[in-house]
Amino acid sequence: MGHNVLYIEDNPDNMTLVQRALETRGYKLLKAKNGLEGVKIAETEEVDLILLDINLPDIDGYEVAQRLRASEKVALKTTPIIAVTANALKGDAEKALNAGCDVYMSKPINIRELWARVEAFVPMP
Amino acid sequence: MTHLECSGCGREYSCNEIHTFCTFCQSPLLTVYNLKKARQYLDRDVFARRSKGMWRWAELLPVQKPENRIFLGEGDTPLLRLNRFEKVLGLTNLFLKDESSNPTGSFKARGLSAAVSKARELGVQKVIIPTAGNAGGAMAAYAARAGLKAHIFMPKDTPFANIEESRMAGAEVILVDGLISDAAGMAGEKARAEGWFDVSTFKEPYRVEGKKVMGYELAESFSWELPDVIIYPTGGGTGLVGMWKAFAEMEELGWLNKTKRPRMVSVQADGCAPVVRAFEKGASFCDFWINAHTLASGLRVPKSFADHLILQDIYESRGTAIAVSDEAILDAQKQLARLEGIFAAPEGAATLAALQQLIEKKWIQPDERIVLFNTGSGLKYLDYKTH
Repeated sequence: MGHNVLYIEDNPDNMTLVQRALETRGYKLLKAKNGLEGVKIAETEEVDLILLDINLPDIDGYEVAQRLRASEKVALKTTPIIAVTANALKGDAEKALNAGCDVYMSKPINIRELWARVEAFVPMP
Repeated sequence: MTHLECSGCGREYSCNEIHTFCTFCQSPLLTVYNLKKARQYLDRDVFARRSKGMWRWAELLPVQKPENRIFLGEGDTPLLRLNRFEKVLGLTNLFLKDESSNPTGSFKARGLSAAVSKARELGVQKVIIPTAGNAGGAMAAYAARAGLKAHIFMPKDTPFANIEESRMAGAEVILVDGLISDAAGMAGEKARAEGWFDVSTFKEPYRVEGKKVMGYELAESFSWELPDVIIYPTGGGTGLVGMWKAFAEMEELGWLNKTKRPRMVSVQADGCAPVVRAFEKGASFCDFWINAHTLASGLRVPKSFADHLILQDIYESRGTAIAVSDEAILDAQKQLARLEGIFAAPEGAATLAALQQLIEKKWIQPDERIVLFNTGSGLKYLDYKTH
């Protein structure tokens, strides 16, 4: 069975690109179009890794990361979170790490790097 | 030129259409030439007889029609022997490729000449770039000469000379409260929204083509043998990747007397050294560098879009990556001026500081042929001298 990766992202083009890339490698993608939906899916589904866009239409990615780390679902305290953002403003990377993300990636996402980073956290058997 | 090829997944793209980076895996695109065919008719010695400048290598550059080449005198920069430093450092073959004599005072002229020329050939009207400084000034100049409208995003603490030269050339300059990565995010959004051609480092395929000519010039200067070590300051990494590409092309063309390639040394600043950190870990990609700071504004790149290419080339060359402090950069800058009369950009001075470290570590042998790169003129960085 492949690992479940939750991608919280409102941009459909990015979602399609990442879905194609990760499914090629045997991962199953769970999709959320905004932060609140992402938190809900993370709390109710089995999730092995979370890809988190920072610029979301409702709550931002920092808030999402903080809510996930504070969740009553204990597993979410250690589930790897990779933050991704296109509009990298000053201090964004630091803020993402302080909010509980493990790694920060800037868009456009290089798919080979994405594979490497996802596999470093959740290697495929 | 036959086509563009993705450096990540190998997908091919037409070179007669506008492309940025690979739409499938989002890696940089590189230009591919039919070198097997070129080998049959291109004589390496013919280039020395042509008019000076980057475009004498036109068969190996991406612009097809001569009238689209935007020339301001770029290329054929001097390769200076550093006799006095040889004595001080106990070396016998030390050189400096001085890129400060390029138009707009830096090596960025080469890449932007190629990119803006190709943009014009492809019918582009408006170009946009995020920059740590010198690339903006160069793009503004070449865009002006090409009749294109330039939009430039640069950190608000970019050296004043870069801001002023860009504005003088008619570019729209947007000062950003942040680093080049912040400027890149904003420029990328603007490019997508407006449909402007994004000339960000490695997000289009042609700047690296202009930069690669530094590799051809070096080989020609050394009678078609490559030096043992190249010490190169690395921000976005276009020059390092470009020269490595040139060496591969020259091998395929059969132009090199010896196929031994140089060990490539990537030099960064202590306050922003993502390539160095990744190299030390043996990683394929860089982590985004948090809180990047250095007076060498061209080295203040928290993560290059082509980080995997930079690292791949360093590994393949059996080279290394090294970080130097701002204090060492300033000291090296002073030494270069006092001993050799070269007022180097801080990024260029960083290569001398790195050389001194490499000698201490005995990574370099005294009789090796070593080339430092001064990427620009110190005259463009007078702000930090006065502040």
